[in-house]
Amino acid sequence: MASTSVTSGLLRLRALSPNHRIGGRVVKIRGKLRFGCPNLKWGGGRSKLRFCVRAVEVSEGSGGKREKNAEEVERGVADGGGEIARFMGAISALPAVRLMKKSVSNNFAIGAFFAILIVVVAVREIAGKKQRYEQHGSVADLVKRGQIRSDRRSISGPLKYDDPFNNPLVKVSKSNSTVEMCGKVYRLAPVTLTEEEQSVHQKRRSRAYQWKRPTVFLKEGDPVPPDVDPDTIRWIPANHPFATTATEIDEDLAQNNVYQKEGIPFRIKAEHEALQRKLEALQNEQKLNKIAIDPNNVREFERPFKSFSKPQEQVDRNLSSNQPNGVAKAPESERVLDLAENSSAADE
Amino acid sequence: MTSLHLLHLSRNAPSSPYLLSSFFSPFPLKTLNLKSKHTSPGPALCVLQWNRKPELAGPTPRVAVITSGKGGVGKTTTTANIGLSLARLGFSVIAVDADVGLRNLDLLLGLENRVNYTAIDVLNGDCRLDQALVRDKRWSNFQLLCISKPRSKLPLGFGGKALIWIVDSLKSGPSTPDFILIDCPAGIDAGFITAITPANEAILVTTPDITALRDADRVTGLLECDGIKDIKMIVNRVRTDLIRGEDMMSVLDVQEMLGLALLGVIPEDAEVIRSTNRGYPLVLNKPPTLAGLAFEQAAWRLVEQDSMKAVMIEEAPKKRGFFSFFGG
Repeated sequence: MASTSVTSGLLRLRALSPNHRIGGRVVKIRGKLRFGCPNLKWGGGRSKLRFCVRAVEVSEGSGGKREKNAEEVERGVADGGGEIARFMGAISALPAVRLMKKSVSNNFAIGAFFAILIVVVAVREIAGKKQRYEQHGSVADLVKRGQIRSDRRSISGPLKYDDPFNNPLVKVSKSNSTVEMCGKVYRLAPVTLTEEEQSVHQKRRSRAYQWKRPTVFLKEGDPVPPDVDPDTIRWIPANHPFATTATEIDEDLAQNNVYQKEGIPFRIKAEHEALQRKLEALQNEQKLNKIAIDPNNVREFERPFKSFSKPQEQVDRNLSSNQPNGVAKAPESERVLDLAENSSAADE
Repeated sequence: MTSLHLLHLSRNAPSSPYLLSSFFSPFPLKTLNLKSKHTSPGPALCVLQWNRKPELAGPTPRVAVITSGKGGVGKTTTTANIGLSLARLGFSVIAVDADVGLRNLDLLLGLENRVNYTAIDVLNGDCRLDQALVRDKRWSNFQLLCISKPRSKLPLGFGGKALIWIVDSLKSGPSTPDFILIDCPAGIDAGFITAITPANEAILVTTPDITALRDADRVTGLLECDGIKDIKMIVNRVRTDLIRGEDMMSVLDVQEMLGLALLGVIPEDAEVIRSTNRGYPLVLNKPPTLAGLAFEQAAWRLVEQDSMKAVMIEEAPKKRGFFSFFGG
């Protein structure tokens, strides 16, 4: 037995016995909704929706399959408050619902519909995630490019909390028997090691490990120098990855370098001085070469603004000789030379 | 507000520092004297966010070598985190990466791109010592000194002496550091000998497994033979859940085997790997992690020359009652 009641669009189906079931085809929702422009009747005029519910009681008690049309309710929702009717119509217009109507097994159709829906949603989600993952221009790219520091991400500033033994994350109980760290309560067990036990361990170790700090480092194969305790020798293999017995630098010099507080470091200074000496030597050689060649002859071949080799005294002399008569009286070539001199001085 | 309130308390109530230090420090009288030296009021103190500051014990600079014997137990991680914790506590720190062949401290600190000169360059006269120190931009009172570049060789003729010169030079400088932490290489080879030479105290890092413990015992013996008597240990990568199930030695078992005072117990934490990847030490993480907090506490004890009086033990989870399903 099944009872069906329809009250203004509200449909209630109540099964009274587990043996009774409502067949897949018995509930029919029918509606007409035309979306074609000339035939569109949604919301205007009289709706011709027909809402048909048919409940079928199936009883399997006597072996044969018996179907009984228990009740057939047909109702046409025609008048103005047809929101539900419109909704029903929209549902019935869906292709999936049409398919349900048409198919032989409605259960299968519903199942297939939901399965497809789930697959579509899952595929869309996966595709979206992939796209998001591949999307460029995130903050991670700035970190990769070295524009922002990754270590500062999610950390606004240096942290200062009150006390490592008493802060919101570490709370020792009043009785000192438990401690709560990061939300977890631990029991505190007292340390039992005594000073006597410590000294016993020290004595044990002093007996077990006899060791002298090596003070002499020798390459394997080197002769042992006289007056050296063999226990203090450390033998270093020739192919040791990071240790060497060979020293490029004098020990005293190294010590001085470490103690140097200001000024130019030793090697930099030494290299600079060596370069300076080399440069001076080269300049001397050049001077010697220049002496061999007559400078007046050379100057004739040089362009006027390039003739920086002219001594400053000579230029000054020229200027001073021209000064009483005014600068305008100086020859053209000399003025060009002066300009070139001034510009070179400004560059320096 | 908190700091101001507590400063006010410490100034007016002379018993409060004694009470605080007696819980954490074995030398209450000494700390009391030190406290009385530091109580001069100053405007800078008002902005401090600390409820209290650890009292620096012992003469400065304190030169501590961080060693283990076995590799991979967390020496470099400990050096980076303790060093930055000390810097955060307001002490000037110089961390020396004495791992000549395989230096990593610069990577852990995120300073690898800023190391231009090393101690070898200082010895050779290519630069001065102050030029070889790499200042951390996050905490300017923390500096790094690398002994050598990966492909250069350390002349062992004066390897140990060179570190002594460096320490002496830093002492005589305009600003003497409070702490010089030396990150020691693994093993007991030439690098180890060089690293322990200038040290006055040692921090032995070990893990609660038998292989690390044997090496730690050997290294402790060598340090004691060399005259370093102040040795404290940090037990790293402790898993309290395994200890509860008796699959791992407890910290007290480790202490019983080595007979050393405990400076800290660092729980295993996945954040250690993340912080290494980022080049941002654990103690700077926000929010702080369990391991970061443990490093902070160890640094505090190091300053005060204190040791742990109690260790944390994970308790078995409470049995769920019948009504626990309903939230009871």
